[in-house]
Amino acid sequence: MGLLSRILVVLSVSAMLAACSAPQAPPPSMFVLLPDDNGTVGRITVSNPQGTQTLGQAWQATVVADAAASPAAPTLLSADEVKARFHDALAVQPEPVRRFILYFQKGSKALTEESQALIPEVIATIRERRSVDTSVVGHTDTVGSNEANMRLSRERAAIIAMMLTDSGIDPTMLETSSHGERNPLVPTADEVSEPRNRRVEITVR
Amino acid sequence: MKGLCFLLVLLVFCPAFVQAQDERIGSIKNVEGEVFVLRGGEAITAEAGKVLYRGDQLKTGETGRVGVVFRDDTRLSLGGNSDLAVEQFEFAPGEGRFGLVLRLARGMAAFVSGQISKLAPDAVRLETPVGTVGVRGTHFVMNIVG
Repeated sequence: MGLLSRILVVLSVSAMLAACSAPQAPPPSMFVLLPDDNGTVGRITVSNPQGTQTLGQAWQATVVADAAASPAAPTLLSADEVKARFHDALAVQPEPVRRFILYFQKGSKALTEESQALIPEVIATIRERRSVDTSVVGHTDTVGSNEANMRLSRERAAIIAMMLTDSGIDPTMLETSSHGERNPLVPTADEVSEPRNRRVEITVR
Repeated sequence: MKGLCFLLVLLVFCPAFVQAQDERIGSIKNVEGEVFVLRGGEAITAEAGKVLYRGDQLKTGETGRVGVVFRDDTRLSLGGNSDLAVEQFEFAPGEGRFGLVLRLARGMAAFVSGQISKLAPDAVRLETPVGTVGVRGTHFVMNIVG
């Protein structure tokens, strides 16, 4: 190694050391938009008194140096980079909630045969997920008066809740409610018999 | 007389207070490392399968991580050294009342929106010291340097 090369090595090493010891600005805060589970992409806005940025594309990011700086123009990151950088939070992300819809016979609180057959799976899901927050919501179609349907939807929810608690599920973790005919799955005119609206929706969280 | 008034005030306001404190807003699904729930000035060790109540705050240690599901199906998880307060949680579809305001003072969070974002997008807000996030039905992550 010649003298000149040696001098160059010494100079570059000292430059590197100087860079390391120089006071560094803290890394900025960062916001990144991700695709949803089903692949669709929503939108977020990041705003402070200095400005606003909108992210509408998957893996798009904006950084904000501090409260006195406006959110920076969005940049596109790679999926791998985002997953690595945000691994800690993404690693413990809860799985999506599981929803079941159980259908009933016309004007009745008796389940259809297909829905009756689903009950064991509902119970197994609550157990597997160790859910302490499961909701049971009763609904009807629009045949009959509002009052009668309110009562019927309440009875439908109650009977499903009873099936679950009879199998040993803790009743305190069930949230039972009823919507009568007000919240149809398939909107219809009044006095329309619609099998898809005669239902109890169960959400296992 | 003063004592009686005080008692009366107590009787009138306490049931409402107790009820508000008791309101369930979600549950803890995943925990790793050191994670605490701050509730009524007390730090409770977070565990999977524990219920979250209105007013709860979540804090993670250096290697702590936690994932929770709110009653409206919103999913939220935190990385290490994070501090998250639930400023508002209102989910009453029957009465048309919705609100989800979270405040991440520092740390890392991943958010997947639920029913409140779907039914009342303007009612969802994530506040941080450097800015506020508004949400239109989606999934995002953020890291706040405190």
